[in-house]
Amino acid sequence: MTAIAHPDRNFKYWLISPAIFLLLLVGLFPLIFSLVVSFMRVTMLETDTSFAGLANYAQLFHDARLWQSLLHTVLIMVIALPVELLLGLAMAYLFLDRLPGRQLLVSLLVLPTIISPIVAGATWRLLFDNRYGPINQIIGWFAGHPVPALWTVNPGLVYPAIIFCEIWQWTPFMFLILLAALSNVDRSLTEAAEIDGARFWRSFRYVVLPAIFPVMSIAILIRGLDLFRIFDIIWALTAGGPGTMTETISVYTYVQGFRQFETSYTAAIAFLVIALLTVIVTWAIRRMGLAK
Amino acid sequence: MSDLKLTGLHKHYGTYHAVKGIDLEVPSGEFTVLVGPSGCGKSTLLRTIAGLEEASAGTVEIGGKNVTWARPRDRDIAMVFQNYALYPYLNVYENIAFGLRARRVASTQIDKRVKRAADMLGIAQLLDRFPRELSGGQRQRVAIGRAIVRDALLFLFDEPLSNLDAQLRDDMRVEIKRLHHELGRTIIYVTHDQIEAMTLADRIALLRDGRIEQLGTPLDLFERPATRFVAGFLGSPKMNFLSATIEAGEVILRDGTRLPLPAARNAINGQAVVLGLRPQHIAKAGASAAPGHAQLAATVELVQPTGSRVQVNIPLGGISITAEFAAHEVTTPGEQVRIDIDMTRAVLIDPQTDKVI
Amino acid sequence: MKGVPFHRRKETKLVLRYLIAAFLVVIFVFPIYWLFAISFKTPAEIFAFPPVWYPKSIQFNNYAVLFKDGDAKTVGNSLVLASVSTLFAMIFGTIAAYSLVRFKTGGENLAVWIISQRMMPPVAIAFPIFLFYVWLGWVDTYIGLIILYTAFSLPYVIWMMRGYIEEIPLELEESALIDGCNRWEVLWKVVLPMARSGLFATAVFTFVFSWNDFLFALILTRTEVMTYTVQVTHYFGGQSNFWSKIAAMSVLGTIPVFITVATLQRYLVRGISMGAVKG
Repeated sequence: MTAIAHPDRNFKYWLISPAIFLLLLVGLFPLIFSLVVSFMRVTMLETDTSFAGLANYAQLFHDARLWQSLLHTVLIMVIALPVELLLGLAMAYLFLDRLPGRQLLVSLLVLPTIISPIVAGATWRLLFDNRYGPINQIIGWFAGHPVPALWTVNPGLVYPAIIFCEIWQWTPFMFLILLAALSNVDRSLTEAAEIDGARFWRSFRYVVLPAIFPVMSIAILIRGLDLFRIFDIIWALTAGGPGTMTETISVYTYVQGFRQFETSYTAAIAFLVIALLTVIVTWAIRRMGLAK
Repeated sequence: MSDLKLTGLHKHYGTYHAVKGIDLEVPSGEFTVLVGPSGCGKSTLLRTIAGLEEASAGTVEIGGKNVTWARPRDRDIAMVFQNYALYPYLNVYENIAFGLRARRVASTQIDKRVKRAADMLGIAQLLDRFPRELSGGQRQRVAIGRAIVRDALLFLFDEPLSNLDAQLRDDMRVEIKRLHHELGRTIIYVTHDQIEAMTLADRIALLRDGRIEQLGTPLDLFERPATRFVAGFLGSPKMNFLSATIEAGEVILRDGTRLPLPAARNAINGQAVVLGLRPQHIAKAGASAAPGHAQLAATVELVQPTGSRVQVNIPLGGISITAEFAAHEVTTPGEQVRIDIDMTRAVLIDPQTDKVI
Repeated sequence: MKGVPFHRRKETKLVLRYLIAAFLVVIFVFPIYWLFAISFKTPAEIFAFPPVWYPKSIQFNNYAVLFKDGDAKTVGNSLVLASVSTLFAMIFGTIAAYSLVRFKTGGENLAVWIISQRMMPPVAIAFPIFLFYVWLGWVDTYIGLIILYTAFSLPYVIWMMRGYIEEIPLELEESALIDGCNRWEVLWKVVLPMARSGLFATAVFTFVFSWNDFLFALILTRTEVMTYTVQVTHYFGGQSNFWSKIAAMSVLGTIPVFITVATLQRYLVRGISMGAVKG
């Protein structure tokens, strides 16, 4: 029920207008700006601002580096996301029951998630160092001989390095959310399933999973989108290298805009990304009933 | 002088028409109960009076001032809510003082008034507690305390007792009635419970489907209902309704039973009617029938003792009707009894209009 | 989170679970330990082969250098930017959330649009914003970044606070309206106290997001308001003797977050689960 009487009729608009103004500034303005500039021929090096029509968009389709970067982004996402989810879920189960010092252990586990991604990247850069880093040292113990792996340079190792770092930082996030979700599952339901003789997997599939599904899908959505825009960790570890091997969509956009100064072309990329995500995200939000 | 006057009040929610033209004038100091089944618009009406809902049409006057478009706080009202609406982060004292503080009353004055209200309600020893430390009854007292401390012109109660258990509800009902006598303020009280309505009200406004079906004293409504709905809503057990026709000054039931036509009813010969009989007006027959009473033989179908009384189901006019006898007058189903129907207090209803004849 | 067993397990299982848990904690905490360890090591220890697992003695020389060079000032910049923008985001976000919940302002469409803004990739937004800021002269200023951080935090704040505000019984507000409060007083005296724990939890996360930001700061700062995250990356790629600086700067930037989170921990678990559960 709305309870608002005549004299206060505009109150609700007063309340929401500062937020709307700011959101338009970072939400709608960049979208429109990108759209307009993307039809022009602007670079930061020249003063030409003539109309380019769809030339920039046509260029998008022939830009192999763009599609490569999209592929890299998706590659990282499809590996990191399921691992984070499953590992987080397993860890949540591990910590669900009574465990001495649980509070402290959970707090320690969550530390990676609250540090800055750039610091996380920097930390792993130090860990991965081929000579002075502990990772190669530890691998060397198992291998029986020194291992001089170049984690952030060797084409065969850069993706494992990035994904390792990503998983290390964000599995605790999944873990914490799923732990909260599992704790909220009505115990009488799982107990009833156990009394009925259901095995762990059956009980999980038909009782626990449906109960935690709404929370889990939100967590997947949030992490999926974060992974889609991954930038910091890559910037710290490889800066997109070697060559353009680990360039993601965010890194590529940054390079086009701030290294190549291709203003109009970057605007076209930005518009494409914003428009694409707006559609997908709006659909997902409605589908999941998040706005209710 | 009237403290509250509603004229042609309407309330729409989109396409839903919740209040359909209410006219009501409440004299100063009167206890008026708005009663009706759920969805009848009684709570919406109260909230519109309070200014929590905006009237779609019509006017609300409180204390002679048109407040239709005034903010709730400018209406000189106090309200007690169903779920008590106590602030969990404030103790009892601050909860009661909340309205006075909001109105910038001097703190010495606040202290005096909070303590007086607490004494009146017997919660003086609870002032330092927090709402979570109180029982349901105590919370309700605090909620009432918060209203009376305000010393408003009009007190609104929105189903204040519906969250309490039966015993507590009886106690609080007495309490509210006593407070009304002590304060002498005008009270508008919403409930769906007809017993609360009957026991508390000076006047009852019985609402149905967004309209006032009947307005009057509790006894008025009970004895002289205006419509079948009013007759059926008030009274427990419910009134029995039997189809009948009027013939030659008699009421003929479906099974041919002839009952005397109550005096002073303008029923036309041959007219189909619905006869309304209250269970309380059907008794075990004594030696001889009083004028206007009818005596019949009947077989008891079902017996439900309620302590001092016993509810008995007996067949009449082709259906099973309920009668209320004194305890132990009837004990077992199948028993043969003679019943006495007080037709002078019977109600005749026109089945076309559902209005009482 | 209750400690009632999900499945009854034997004591041996408990020991096993405890061992796995301890192993996981070591894995997840070790990188952070390593970062801290390096920040206290001498150059000789940092560049020892094989690596030295802990510093022989705690020495603060690596930090002293940062303060002497003025690099530590970037932590101060981060602090100003993150706290001021958190304050604004909390104020504007909470009242907007209240408007959405209580008055259904803009209906579901507005709510969907606001939440969808949470998902925007920063780089796509940052580019047009950068050009706009160049035109306004806002690049490398506090106001430019504070506005951007505030705006970028808003969808999260609104999303979270909506959940908390929905839990407040309407009667409490109506009662206050009748008792003599105006709309703003209801917000101040009823809604805020009722949503207190939600406010804290949301503020912590908002602060951490802004504090940890790198991309906006990279694009929109130069020297004056450069944040610690950008400062850290300035040590990359140089000679390897910048290791001590990377570590010390990272630790300087991490400690405030750890302190904040530790202090307000009791609000956080509820905050995270609420945010996720309530959507």
